[in-house]
Amino acid sequence: MKLLRIYRALLTAQLQATAQYRAQAFLYVLFSVIRPIVFLAAWVAVANARGGSVGSFDVADFAGYFIALTLVSHLCMSWFAWEFEQDVAQGNLSPRLLRPLHPIHYAAAANISYKIVTSIGLLPILLLVAVSFHARFQTTLEHLLLFIPSMILAAVLSFLFDWVQASTAFWITRSSQVSFVLGRVSFIFGGQIAPLALLPGVLGTIAYALPFGYMLAVPADILRGGVDPARGLLLVGAQALWVLLFYAALQRVWRAGVREYSAVGA
Amino acid sequence: MNAPVFVRDLAKSYRVHEREEGLGAAMRALVKRRYRDVRAVDGITFEIGEGEVVGFLGPNGAGKTTTLKMLAGLLYPTSGEATVLGHTPWLRESRFLTQITLLMGNRSQLVWDIPAADSFRVLQQIYEIGESDYRVRLDELSDLLDLGPLLHKPVRQLSLGERMKVEFAASLVHAPRVIFLDEPTIGLDVTAQTRIRRFVADYNRRTGATILLTSHYMDDVVALCRRVLVIHHGKLLYDGGLADLATRMAPYKLVVVTLADGASPRFDEFGEVVASEEGRTTVRVPRESAAERTAAIIRAFEQQVVDLSVEDPPIEEVIDRVFSGERPLSQVRS
Amino acid sequence: MPEVRYARIAAIFLRTEIQYAMAYRANFTFGIVRLFIVVGTSIGAALILFQYTDAMNGWTLPQMIALLGVYYLVQGLADLMFMPSVTKLMEQVRLGTLDFVLLKPANSQFLVSTRYVEPTQIASVIVGAAVVALGASRMQPSPALSDALSFALALACGVALVYSLLIAIGTLAFWFVRMDNLLVIFSSLIEAGRFPVDIYPGWLRATLSTLVPIGIAVTVPAQAISGRVDALGLATIVLVGAGSLVFTAWFWRRGLRSYTGASA
Repeated sequence: MKLLRIYRALLTAQLQATAQYRAQAFLYVLFSVIRPIVFLAAWVAVANARGGSVGSFDVADFAGYFIALTLVSHLCMSWFAWEFEQDVAQGNLSPRLLRPLHPIHYAAAANISYKIVTSIGLLPILLLVAVSFHARFQTTLEHLLLFIPSMILAAVLSFLFDWVQASTAFWITRSSQVSFVLGRVSFIFGGQIAPLALLPGVLGTIAYALPFGYMLAVPADILRGGVDPARGLLLVGAQALWVLLFYAALQRVWRAGVREYSAVGA
Repeated sequence: MNAPVFVRDLAKSYRVHEREEGLGAAMRALVKRRYRDVRAVDGITFEIGEGEVVGFLGPNGAGKTTTLKMLAGLLYPTSGEATVLGHTPWLRESRFLTQITLLMGNRSQLVWDIPAADSFRVLQQIYEIGESDYRVRLDELSDLLDLGPLLHKPVRQLSLGERMKVEFAASLVHAPRVIFLDEPTIGLDVTAQTRIRRFVADYNRRTGATILLTSHYMDDVVALCRRVLVIHHGKLLYDGGLADLATRMAPYKLVVVTLADGASPRFDEFGEVVASEEGRTTVRVPRESAAERTAAIIRAFEQQVVDLSVEDPPIEEVIDRVFSGERPLSQVRS
Repeated sequence: MPEVRYARIAAIFLRTEIQYAMAYRANFTFGIVRLFIVVGTSIGAALILFQYTDAMNGWTLPQMIALLGVYYLVQGLADLMFMPSVTKLMEQVRLGTLDFVLLKPANSQFLVSTRYVEPTQIASVIVGAAVVALGASRMQPSPALSDALSFALALACGVALVYSLLIAIGTLAFWFVRMDNLLVIFSSLIEAGRFPVDIYPGWLRATLSTLVPIGIAVTVPAQAISGRVDALGLATIVLVGAGSLVFTAWFWRRGLRSYTGASA
């Protein structure tokens, strides 16, 4: 298949480029790791104050959840919107629109190769945290089989979501501010500060109605074996729906955006 | 010791670690680095008197900037001594720093995004300049440099020439008594260069400040300095008048002959022909026999000589010849 | 009076930088909106945790809110002055424009530390202080005057500690030109300051108390306002804070010697 061959070439080139910066890339892994550890420690403190558990979570479950979350959030990272704002403002986009391949493929290749390189640094750190917090994973074979599509869907969803945000740059000069606000919403509703099951009252319901959890908490819960497989299947289905929705949205927004961009004539 | 600038046996060497190519060499370098001493300034001695404007000449890497930085207190020497206005520069005492300035043509001390006037206010506080003094000096500098509205525009909007004028004002607002200029006209167009030169000359005349400058442009030196220091490979080769430099360093003169009808016969027997076009021929002759060679040329072409002159070679050429090592260095030492 | 002169220099630096920020006013507004969102969501996170308990490792909700305030206060002060200065210092060393600082007849460490300011962060400092006040007002019993005083003392020392660390990282640039990576480590670990350092496992607590002392710089002042700090804790942070300032001043002079002793 042609696209496959193109991706192989793009990935080879991108991997070499990323490898040049591997020292920095490893350091940036710290940003992915610190926040989950911080909230893990906080929940451990809360659990200890209550005699060892919060709801269905004990200390080992929290550890399992936040470790899984770190891995998922790392693999779901997408930072395109931040660069794109600059690219549109400085007119760097035009030459890329002229190429016969859609720019999304270049970004995807860069994204994948960054994750390949940095994951090598991330895994030992996760192992260390898992041991020091005695993390518990109740993962069965079914969970693993579900996790693979769930993880892929989450990564694709977060990438598409990022691109929809980035496309606002065609109309708004400071589109990264949009990304910033959405990042803080994800902080609360994506599962970064608490497993979705522990969000009090209506917050939990809201979280399942928003897309953020499907990029973070949902795959993490599946990976640690925190949901029964039937419910897991349902959640993966919901992820697939979100992906379709954002794929359709991106197609429309991008096309309209490029039209707007060429009309302005940057 | 009364001279504003006094330098004796000043030397500075750098340790650079040698890097060889190849992976094996890189691994070895991790264990044991190999160092090499580079003597940037190799024992120089000179004095500069009150109010003098002295040019510092030499090719890239000769040690000019290193010397200037030592005199401004930015670098510690390896050995030797120097005093500027009675202070040892590298101790960087406040009383010393308030009386000198160093302007570097290729670096800017102004803040890019704000008007220079705001940067000047900062300088006023740092140098503790009283309000009335500050006003007077700024007016004077504005006047000399024709700054006008430039001070109120963000620095990034200024052209290179305009920016350099403002840099000059920023470097001089505390009325320093000793001024070091490192390539002050680098990158400027000819008009801007001329303006800066005129300014430096005027400023020196008005304030009696002592000035030491380096420049790649001989025109700067010719226009401003009666005295030059020539430095090469860290050693001082020449210290004296600009006019004497040619006599001492270039042991030849140029005889320029123009013959009628554009004739150009052979001049080889009189000296080395360096240029010849449309009857106008330039012959290089040894300085000591310049008179008799000229007479010989007139005798040989008596009827045809339309014009004849005997000139010193251009100063650039003299310097070039010294730096490219055409003459043994010991002979040019003054 | 040199102190007056230095205060005047710092004031004019700040004025210049505010003028600069005003040239990009939209950024300023966005910065403040972002600040409120960040602080708001952080308090939200604390509220969620306290749905399940009255105290975390002995910290009550008002005390935790006060700690969050200190976190934004310290972070704001670091980002207001120290971070921009250190980033700029590294650039100046690389480009050689530090020479101009060294030519000035004033303390070079002072000039470098105060020259560049990020005025948006003044808002962070104010909001941080307001959040501390909010937490303190809900405390039972309310903080005594002595608590407020030891809070001020501990805060000053904590800020001194963070300042010293950043300047020390910047000073390393005299030997190793690229030090940005160390700043990345610092920035990523700052996140850990949002909770008291005592909830973390040993290795992280040790890091946050020594190498990247953001942990104690936030925790000890918050303990002070909560009346939870003892004389020994207070004495320690005073000693460490003062010691770090002395060390940094010495280290700066060492670095400067190496800078002025080295390349052209």
